[in-house]
Amino acid sequence: MTSNSQTSFRLPFLFIATGIVSFVLFHALSLSSLANWTMEYPRGPVGWTNTHLLVLGWGTMVAMGAVYQLMNVVLQKDLYSRPIGYVHYFSFTIGFIGLLLGFAFGRIIWIGAFASLALLGIILFAWNIGAALLHAKLWNTVTIGAAFAVAYLVLTGLTGLTMGLDFPLNFLGVWHDRFLGAHLWFGAVGWFGLLIASFSFKLLPMFYLSHGHSVRWEKPLLILWNGAVVIGAFAMLTGAGLPLLWIAFLLLAAAYAAYTCYIKDVMAKKHKSSPGEGIIFSVWAVRGFLVFMLFLLVFAILFPEQFTRTESIVILGWAYLWGWVALTILGYMSKIVPFLWWTHKYGVLVGKVPTPSLSQMINERYVRALLHLTGTAMLVLMLGLAFSLPIVVVIGGCALSIFSVAYIGLVANVFLK
Amino acid sequence: MAAVELIREQLKAVIDPELNVNIVDLGLVYDIVNENGDVKVTMTLTTPGCPLHTTMTNGVRAALHGMEGIQSVDVEVVWSPPWTPAMMSESAKERLGVY
Repeated sequence: MTSNSQTSFRLPFLFIATGIVSFVLFHALSLSSLANWTMEYPRGPVGWTNTHLLVLGWGTMVAMGAVYQLMNVVLQKDLYSRPIGYVHYFSFTIGFIGLLLGFAFGRIIWIGAFASLALLGIILFAWNIGAALLHAKLWNTVTIGAAFAVAYLVLTGLTGLTMGLDFPLNFLGVWHDRFLGAHLWFGAVGWFGLLIASFSFKLLPMFYLSHGHSVRWEKPLLILWNGAVVIGAFAMLTGAGLPLLWIAFLLLAAAYAAYTCYIKDVMAKKHKSSPGEGIIFSVWAVRGFLVFMLFLLVFAILFPEQFTRTESIVILGWAYLWGWVALTILGYMSKIVPFLWWTHKYGVLVGKVPTPSLSQMINERYVRALLHLTGTAMLVLMLGLAFSLPIVVVIGGCALSIFSVAYIGLVANVFLK
Repeated sequence: MAAVELIREQLKAVIDPELNVNIVDLGLVYDIVNENGDVKVTMTLTTPGCPLHTTMTNGVRAALHGMEGIQSVDVEVVWSPPWTPAMMSESAKERLGVY
C-alpha cells in the first residue's frame, strides 16, 4: 500500500466512520425514548440534541468525508492540505460533541464555546476546499455547486454560533428566531441540498455509465437552488412572512423539477442496466420529494395559517431532512463506502491477483430491502406526526431506527470485507 | 519478446471494479507498442476525472510486471479520441446489460 493511497483513505474514513457512530447513537437515543422525542416541542434541549446529532454528527460528517474523498477526483488534483483536514476533523468533532453536551445539559457556556470550535472546523474545511478549488481553476457545475454548498455551511455555522452566543449574552432579541430560520435554510437547503445536487452531476453519469447526456438542466438547477436559499434565508431574516417564503419554496420545487429532468437525461444515455440499488433509491427520493414540494405549495395557498404552525414546520423538516437528505446520503453511502474501502484494500492488487467488484462488497438485495423499509417507516412516522397519533409515531419512529441502523450496519460491514 | 496480442491478453487481468469488466473489453486500451521489451500502453478511461485513474494505470504496470520479455512499462492516459460506449466489445456490452 502506498503512503499516498493510505493518506487519501484516512481522512474521508475518519469522517465517515465518525458519522456512522453518530448515526447509531442517534437511533439508540431515539429508540430509548420510543421515538417520543419527535413529538416534543422541537426547540428544547432534547430536540436540539437529537437534531444536531443527526445533522452534524452524521449528515455533515459523512458529507465532509465524501467531499474529501471525491474532491481530488473532481479536480484531478490532490487536496490542498491534509494536515488542515485533520485539524478540521478534531476541531469539528470535539466542537460538535461539546455542543451536544451543552444542549443536553443546558450549559449555555458550553454551547457558545464548543459551537466556536465546531465553526473553526467548518472554516478550516472551507479554507481547504476553497484553496483546492482556486488552485485547480476548474470551474464547472460540480465545483461551483460544491463551492456554494461549503459557503452556505459557513453561513450555517456563523448563524448557529451567533444564536449560541445569544444564550448567555442575550443580545439578539427578536433576531434570534430570524437567525434560526436563516440557519435552517443555509444548512438544510444550502449546504446539504446543493452538495448532493452538484456532486450528482459527477456521480450519476458515472454510476449509470451515461455518455453524451445533455447537461442543459445543470445550470438552471444551480440558479434555482441558490435562489431558493437566498430568498428563503432573506424571508426569515427580514420576517417577510409567507408570501416571500412561498416564492422560496416555489424556486426549490422548480430546482427539484430541474433535477428530475437532469436525471431523465442521464438515464436516457445510460450504458449500464443498474447503477446500484442505493442510487436507484436516491433517484426515487428526488422524484418523491418533488411531489411533496408540489403538495406543499398548494397546501400553503389553501391553508396559510396551518402552514406556519410549528407542527407543520416539524413535518416539513422531517420530510426534507429524513425524506430526502438522509435517504439520499444513505443511498449514496452504499456506493461511496465500498469504493473507499475497495481502493484502500484492493486497489494495489489490481493486475496482480483477482479482486472483487464493488457490487460484491455489499449485498445489493439487502440494500434495496432495508432502504425501502427505512423509507416506509419514515412515511409512517410522518403520518403519525401529521395526524397527532402517538402510537403511529412510536411504531414509525422505532421501525425507522431499527431498519436504518440495520442498513448502516450493512454499510459498515464493508470495512470487514 | 512478448507479442502485442499476448500483452493485450494479459491486460484483461485489469478489471474496472465498478463495471466488473476488464479494460481491454471496455475498449480502454488504444495502443500497445513493444520495442525490444520496452512496452508503451496508450489507454484512456471512461471519463476524465475517473476516480480509478491511478488504480487502473498502476494495475496495467502490475499486470505486465515480470512478464517474460518485458523490461519496462510506460502507461500514457490520453483523452483523444474520447472513449465512447461503442468502443466496448460485444461481451462487455452484454455484461453491462443494456444491449
